[in-house]
Amino acid sequence: MNEKDEKKTVTFEPKVEDKNEATNKSIRESAATLSTTGRLMSYNQELKDSLHNGIHFTQLLDKLVQTKEPQTLFEAAQKLVNYHLDNSYLVFPQQYSRADFYLIFLNRLLELHNSEKVILQSSDRNRELYHEFPGINTQGYFVFQLEKGTTDGAYYTEKNSGEIIFYLNFHKNIVRFNSRSLAQLLLVDYPKKIRVEAIKSFENYLLNLGRFFKEDYGFDVDFNLLDPSNSAVYQLSNPQISHSIIDQLFVMAADGGRMLKVGPQNEAILNLNGGTVVTLFDKGSQDNAGVSEWVIKVNDTEHQVSWFDILLQYQFIREWYLDNLSDLEVRSDSLYFN
Amino acid sequence: MANIQDSVIQREHVLATTELSKAVANKARYLQTLAAAIQDQDDRLVYQLIDGERYSKEILQAKHGSSDERNEQLVLDISDKLSQYLSGNLIAYLRETYPFFYFEQTSLGHFQFYFGNWWDRRLFGALDVLKVKFNFDQTEYKKLELAFKLETQKKRLNSDKIAEISQQTDQLQSLIDSQDSRDQEKEKVRLQLKKLAQDKVLPWEASKAKEAKQKLVERLSFLTDQDEKAQQAYKIIRESEEKVLVLSKEDTLIGYEKQSIVAKFGSFENFTARNESLYRDYIADLIATKGRVKINE
Repeated sequence: MNEKDEKKTVTFEPKVEDKNEATNKSIRESAATLSTTGRLMSYNQELKDSLHNGIHFTQLLDKLVQTKEPQTLFEAAQKLVNYHLDNSYLVFPQQYSRADFYLIFLNRLLELHNSEKVILQSSDRNRELYHEFPGINTQGYFVFQLEKGTTDGAYYTEKNSGEIIFYLNFHKNIVRFNSRSLAQLLLVDYPKKIRVEAIKSFENYLLNLGRFFKEDYGFDVDFNLLDPSNSAVYQLSNPQISHSIIDQLFVMAADGGRMLKVGPQNEAILNLNGGTVVTLFDKGSQDNAGVSEWVIKVNDTEHQVSWFDILLQYQFIREWYLDNLSDLEVRSDSLYFN
Repeated sequence: MANIQDSVIQREHVLATTELSKAVANKARYLQTLAAAIQDQDDRLVYQLIDGERYSKEILQAKHGSSDERNEQLVLDISDKLSQYLSGNLIAYLRETYPFFYFEQTSLGHFQFYFGNWWDRRLFGALDVLKVKFNFDQTEYKKLELAFKLETQKKRLNSDKIAEISQQTDQLQSLIDSQDSRDQEKEKVRLQLKKLAQDKVLPWEASKAKEAKQKLVERLSFLTDQDEKAQQAYKIIRESEEKVLVLSKEDTLIGYEKQSIVAKFGSFENFTARNESLYRDYIADLIATKGRVKINE
């Protein structure tokens, strides 16, 4: 057989547009050991794998949408936010983004606990899902923004203002609330235009989310200033606050009809409605640490009132907090917020 | 002769012995009575024994006491211990009659007290347990007294000072706010100066032109002075805010003090009257309490 007379079979190469290059390539590859049949089979296998990958994706999506099992739900979401659906053999033109899956997951989690208040909306303009909260309505457009440089974390963000409410990470199993944005959004911006009941309801929604992550999946949740537990110690961004800041509270409290009292260890005590007590004390001096470390505690019989609730309910305390925010801001996890 | 002298000396010695024995017995009796009074927890008697003169005058309304003051000197060196002992009942009594005073022991038998239980309450003085008397911190006490006097003018202690600072702050603020209009005026003045320099001046108008120029230069320097002041104003305003805070805090503190006094005594006059009769009132209370205890037994 004359080698030169034999026509070479040109194998179909998907996604190759340059004909010359294709020809060159096929000539080059003809020298390779793979036979035509082998190549076709290999191509077919890639397609099968891609289709299987797609099927697997739909199975996960089924679980995400339908399961009644919190653990199954979590595993599905964890996989979906990292799922590579497309490859060079198969592309799906209609897709939800990774950020969307985080949102869907939240709604499903809330649904499993019968406390789904937040509404999952679809924006045609931005081609994305977003959260709308009843009462806050168009003043809040909540989405997840993916953490840069890693696939595991995402920030729950109010898109118009850019305020980041919390950070969520499926692999580190953590939720971190952000005091700065919570204060800016819920204590500065919203009170001007939104009923306090709606803000309160939004706060409950956030608290529930944190609780479900903690209870169902054992997440480490930093509730920050939302923590209603009496054992919560709210740490200040400047632990060495000056005396005059507490003096301000003393004067503002008096104007607000309340007396800021002093305790046996020189702590400042504010008695509020319903037996709720706010205490500012120097943890450093009580621990004999040598360096002062002022913190805030909120005590109530039901373990239901957080520092945030106090700030929302009492105008004079809110004014005091916001006036001195650079000192009094409750510290957020500096790994995720600056 | 010698015998007679001897017997005289002997007689004198006997006399001396008798006298001394009497004197010592007197002191011993005093101390025994005191010991018994302490044993019986009879604070009233203790008070009578340690200051008989005052007791006679204030309680018995007698002109002269029957007690011997020199005996009282016997316990001078244990006055801290006496004070510590007497403080127990006295402070319990004061807590009821002056619920807004908070006592704190500083050393054996010595106590100071704060006015109120609020933030940054003022240290208001020391308690003299043996004399049953408040030694008020005169600076703090006078502020309170003055605050009561100012009440008739519907003013607080620092109202005037705060008003003065606020006025200054307002002026500084308007200085800051008027920066734009000042900048515009400076521009205008500079243009006028420039024009003046360029214009030909007729000899007979020279002095007039010079005068005009002088005025413009003065105006410009006035405006730049204002600019400088405006730049410092931020700092001054911040300092003023701190000053106002200190003053308002003091007003708030004194406001609480006044409320406490009015709630318990009705007026400042009644309060001072009670302070003056404290010794009598307390002894009377001791007598009354003692009576009750006996009835209960």
